[in-house]
Amino acid sequence: MKSSLKNMVLVLFTITAISALLVALVQNMTKEAIENANIQAKNIAKFKVLNTSEDEAVVTSDTTRLIGDFAITVSTVKRLADDTTIGYAVEAPSITKSGYADRITLMVGFAEEDGKCMVQGVEVLSQKETPGLGANMTKAGNSLERSIVGKDASMVEFSVSKEGGSFDALTGSTISSRAYANAIETAYAGYLWATHRLDTSEEAVEDAPSGASMTYDINELETEKGEGDHE
Amino acid sequence: MSKLQIITKGILKENPTFVLVLGMCPTLGVTSSAINGMGMGVATMAVLIMSNMVISLIKNLIPDKVRIPAFIVVIASFVTIIEMLMQAYVPSLYAALGVFIPLIVVNCVILGRAEAFASKNGVFDSALDGIGIGLGFTLSLTVIGAVREVLGAGSIFGYTFAEGVMPLLFILAPGGFFVLGYLMVLFNKIAKR
Repeated sequence: MKSSLKNMVLVLFTITAISALLVALVQNMTKEAIENANIQAKNIAKFKVLNTSEDEAVVTSDTTRLIGDFAITVSTVKRLADDTTIGYAVEAPSITKSGYADRITLMVGFAEEDGKCMVQGVEVLSQKETPGLGANMTKAGNSLERSIVGKDASMVEFSVSKEGGSFDALTGSTISSRAYANAIETAYAGYLWATHRLDTSEEAVEDAPSGASMTYDINELETEKGEGDHE
Repeated sequence: MSKLQIITKGILKENPTFVLVLGMCPTLGVTSSAINGMGMGVATMAVLIMSNMVISLIKNLIPDKVRIPAFIVVIASFVTIIEMLMQAYVPSLYAALGVFIPLIVVNCVILGRAEAFASKNGVFDSALDGIGIGLGFTLSLTVIGAVREVLGAGSIFGYTFAEGVMPLLFILAPGGFFVLGYLMVLFNKIAKR
């Protein structure tokens, strides 16, 4: 078609208007469904990290604690058959350490065995790490998952092994691995808080002995982005 | 040009990665493993087929001088709509391909085919062109991804055979350039015969 100022303006305007209208319409239409899909995915993760399923267990309570802008949600999962607590599924972001691209959010399952707090499973809820490097944290049986699942959380050092921690970093992805360890630490703090073993009121934090196993201090929330090596 | 030729030329004679050299950014970005390359390729093919058809349908309504901005707006809104629908109604597919969708919006392959083929041909031929170029793109990305995964991570399609001994360089960006360059040489040498 030949171009004239009139038809160019008219056509471009019409196309952008129709496009904007369609995008807005679809966004409105799908908003609820997307939210539901996300909630559904989280629910499945809650059972998965405790090695159970929707058929055997039920989430009896969700408690959320806000730390700054971040939410930690602790869900109590009970067995359907005899109403005993299987464990706690904790949804937690990496608060003090960002990943390579963004914060990561994990679902971590904790259960008590012989008075120890055992990590049952970990699911990555959201991450934007590099495909092939940091994004490998979503793969089943990766080195980070192997470093934590089946361990007693109170004995874990929440940093990567080259910094003296308990986590074997993903190859070439130290920054992503640090964020992962941090999110687990946040989840553990959430678990302790939900089971009333950690008093996070200000006086309690001040009174806490410095050698306590909780290295996590909610009053010092700083964003830090790693530097130096890749990821 | 026969219908079959429209499809096959996308794989060999006009291979988008090795011959047309289009869409290099997502190519280098996502091909760190074979399965990622394949996911990107398949997602691109789906969008390409549909965007080619839409562009072909509206090509006579768009004045020549503003065709490129018009195409971009059409493709971008179209991809955004697909992304939202996928996220809402097929979350499992979105979990697998979702990361690639935003990359497709700015993919030169899509715009390149809209400009070079769909704006000059009928709806059916444009769809076939989308299939051909899409297949070519998928195959190329899968091959690049497979080579990088084997050399860099010691695995293929997630199956590991040599963990931790391969040079990580091939997973990182420079390795992507190396592999792409050598494969391009190889492809053109073979294709010329």
